[in-house]
Amino acid sequence: MTETTVTPERPLVVEEGDVKPGFIGQSVPRKEDKRLVQGEGVFFDDVKRHEMGYVHFVRSPYAHARIKSVDVSKALELDGVYGTLTGDEVAILTDPFFELSTPPGANIKDYALAVGRVRHVGDPVAAVVARTRELARDAAELVEVEYEPLPHVLDGEESLKDEVVLHEDAGSNTVWSGVFDWGDFDAALVDADHVVRIERLHFDRFSSTPLECSGCLVEYNRGTGQWTIHGNHQMPGVGAIWMAPALRVGIDKLRFVSQDIGGGFGNKITLHPQYTACCLLARKLNRPVQWTEWRTDQHTANTHGNERTFLDVTVPVKADGTMLGFSVRAIDDCGAFPRYEPLGCIIWAQVTPGCYRWRNVRVDFTQVCTNKSPVAPNRGYSRMQHLWLTERIVDIVAGELGLDPIEVRKKNYVKHEEFPYETPNGCIYDSGDYARCLDIALDLVGYDSLEEKRREAESRGKLFGIGIGSTLDSGTNNFGQSMILNPELQFSGNNEVATVKLDIFGEIVVTLGTVPQGQGHETTASQVVAEILGCTPDEVNVRAGHDTYWNSTAGFSGTYASQFAVTGLGAVKGATEKLAGEMRQLAAAVFGCSPDDIELVESQARIKGNPEAALPFMALGAILNANNAGLPTDLDVTLNVRHVYRPPFEKPDLERKYGNLTLTYATQIHACALEIDAETGVYEIVDYAAVDDCGNRIHPQIVEGQVHGATAQALGAATHEIFTYDEEGNLLTPNFYDYHVPHALDMPPMKTGFIESTSPFTPLGAKGMGEGGGAGIHAVCAALQNALGRRGEGPIVWRSCNPYESVWDLLQKPEETRKLVSVESR
Amino acid sequence: MKVSGERDFQAPRETVWQVLNDPAQMAKTMPGVESFDIQDDRHWRAHVKIPLGLGGLRMSIDFEKMEEREPEFAKLHAKGNGVGAVLNMDTSFNLSEAGDGTNMKWEAEVHLLGPVASMGQRVLQPIVNQQVSHVLGALDKQVQEAKAG
Repeated sequence: MTETTVTPERPLVVEEGDVKPGFIGQSVPRKEDKRLVQGEGVFFDDVKRHEMGYVHFVRSPYAHARIKSVDVSKALELDGVYGTLTGDEVAILTDPFFELSTPPGANIKDYALAVGRVRHVGDPVAAVVARTRELARDAAELVEVEYEPLPHVLDGEESLKDEVVLHEDAGSNTVWSGVFDWGDFDAALVDADHVVRIERLHFDRFSSTPLECSGCLVEYNRGTGQWTIHGNHQMPGVGAIWMAPALRVGIDKLRFVSQDIGGGFGNKITLHPQYTACCLLARKLNRPVQWTEWRTDQHTANTHGNERTFLDVTVPVKADGTMLGFSVRAIDDCGAFPRYEPLGCIIWAQVTPGCYRWRNVRVDFTQVCTNKSPVAPNRGYSRMQHLWLTERIVDIVAGELGLDPIEVRKKNYVKHEEFPYETPNGCIYDSGDYARCLDIALDLVGYDSLEEKRREAESRGKLFGIGIGSTLDSGTNNFGQSMILNPELQFSGNNEVATVKLDIFGEIVVTLGTVPQGQGHETTASQVVAEILGCTPDEVNVRAGHDTYWNSTAGFSGTYASQFAVTGLGAVKGATEKLAGEMRQLAAAVFGCSPDDIELVESQARIKGNPEAALPFMALGAILNANNAGLPTDLDVTLNVRHVYRPPFEKPDLERKYGNLTLTYATQIHACALEIDAETGVYEIVDYAAVDDCGNRIHPQIVEGQVHGATAQALGAATHEIFTYDEEGNLLTPNFYDYHVPHALDMPPMKTGFIESTSPFTPLGAKGMGEGGGAGIHAVCAALQNALGRRGEGPIVWRSCNPYESVWDLLQKPEETRKLVSVESR
Repeated sequence: MKVSGERDFQAPRETVWQVLNDPAQMAKTMPGVESFDIQDDRHWRAHVKIPLGLGGLRMSIDFEKMEEREPEFAKLHAKGNGVGAVLNMDTSFNLSEAGDGTNMKWEAEVHLLGPVASMGQRVLQPIVNQQVSHVLGALDKQVQEAKAG
């Protein structure tokens, strides 16, 4: 054992056997922690090169303006400035990045730097490279840019009017629009005893915040024409698909390397514009260049989460509280450039009915550009917004009809015995027990004594409320869903790669295709390998990080979309099983027996029932690699194997927008109890429970860490994290001074619980769960709603983010939001 | 941001008008002016260092007189460029006789763009108030000097 991570005394509700045999399911010491805790991690900014230059981007102060001129001459005169790059150069040297949308979005031209026009505050118009980071920043201030201001649009609904058009080539601000219609919503309306209508709900703009900002060190090899990018891109395979055609080179000319990454959360999926600018600079200046993003730049101009407005929500309900489905008009604001969009226009459909048995769903979805920062797949991407909607529907309907939101949930949840459950749009929910998870969560927050707590709080002048968030973390994408948006796209399925080898000294070496950012891939991969090979995780060396040149990557390699436990470990499992087979073959050749007679135990290959006839792994490695004379000529063994895991996906039915869009569905049921000061709107979360079901847990402590992180993300988003713009398009929350990310001390008392519903579709019965589903966002909204008013009274919590001043507004003018909801009873 | 106010000067309206329309005298009222160039009677440019929080914001500001009705009304547009900030301001004043003195009603609409606007919003209003107070005080001084001849 090396240094250990101590497993804390756990408040978990253990539903399955306490101790499992083997290494899978154990909280073994994390391999990554020693170097990270001791400050020995290697992040991209730790990588330096001789004579390298530092990049600083010159950014637009305007939300929308024509660029009349860019003059870099004064910057170039400064001693120590190595060079510059402007939009005019970019337009000559590169092609626009590939767009995923059909027209009009397909016609948008997106370059590494602004060409001809800026479209949001912070849009990069030029880049300066200098001897030091500070000098580059100073020199950037000498770049003179003349702008002609243009009218701007900051609101998604206003943008739909096309009175101000951001992209002339597209001719419209609409990126993509379409209607999704499953079941028979009109018939459901006829069948309903009540129809509840919600005029407007709004999911606010925020972003999960990585500790490490974005950046890269780029080297250009003039001899081979290849770039090496030491960076923190979390989806390099797709990054290369964007960058290589734009740079007019082959994919193999781009080598992505990373060791440690300080969090990603989706913010680091769309770094191709900045990376392309750095590639051009490295080539132009014939020197390595490094770009390290400032926090203010990250908040202002990298990526935000999608902002979404839900209009005209209509919910048919039976008298007993059974909901038959819903219809909604959704307007998604993707900011100035689509980048990874319009994938968010379909990703939500992975969880179309949320946790519920709703069969009739109609969604009219439109995505528009506005003069704000572009968006990217922020943790819980697109599903989080949609699941917040489904949860708001449940609580508002329950509130208006005088029903218990707990009972309404249980009545409408997909039942445990119905799994695998096919949703109205063809997604297969693999396994789960939502009602059981809800019961655990309620138990953890002492739901039985709820009224007593309410009375006690009210005696202190506080308003007490409790709320539930039920969400799903759908993991392992079927990229075929992109074809529902654009049938011409040639993406479907998914894949991930691992290689495993037994080296000359018996060392087991694992290489992953993923790009870990703190998820413990080295540890969990070693658990799987050790379990299969009959050794210990300490004997398994998992290479840290990612390198395109390791030959262990595929088209979709990366770390995103809650999938490592399925795709990454599926690849590891496949490769290790192949290696185990080869090791048995080799041992059998040495012993002169059948491979079936060989077992792998205690780091040895030995004949079953005869522990004396054993070859240590070191002997196997040495025989094959260094002492192989005399081995049978037909022994096809390399002890170095590669496996590509491909999830079992079909292409979706494009006409019906129907098909299985993801492989696994982890459950999160959160319960939040809070107290509001009725005089000020200030509220405090006084009790909190998060119950998770991600199938078989490979490493419970890592799972719990993800649950804590996802909860912190959700609570920040629910209570104060919001990107606010002024009327000029200035971001008013551009850094930690105004944008508060929860600290450890901001977290409420938190209890966690779990169950394990084995996934029938994955190699290890596990499900991805790294994103969480944003359950906490809704749990807070529902608790606020519960505290602010009872049936048919009090305000309606209609936004996802409710800072204290918003709650005060709700308290002061309840009628303003109450009119958002109406009920038609028959 | 819109700011407006009113000020009485113990001087004839013509004197106040003269000060307000003389770029050289106006330059003396502005905080942090490092240089001042008069291009013609309607256009002038100032290089200023505006005190802002812990540091100073250097800006080059172009003024253009848009409208005038002597001796009672004038309207100016100012456009400033600085590191991390772009300033656009429309300002106007109305002068009326008030006994022996002059009453000035003024208003300004200030638009600030760029990182300074993003990060400085919470401190901007008190700084603007402080600077306006400073300008009006200096203006009063200029008017009194002009009156004294």
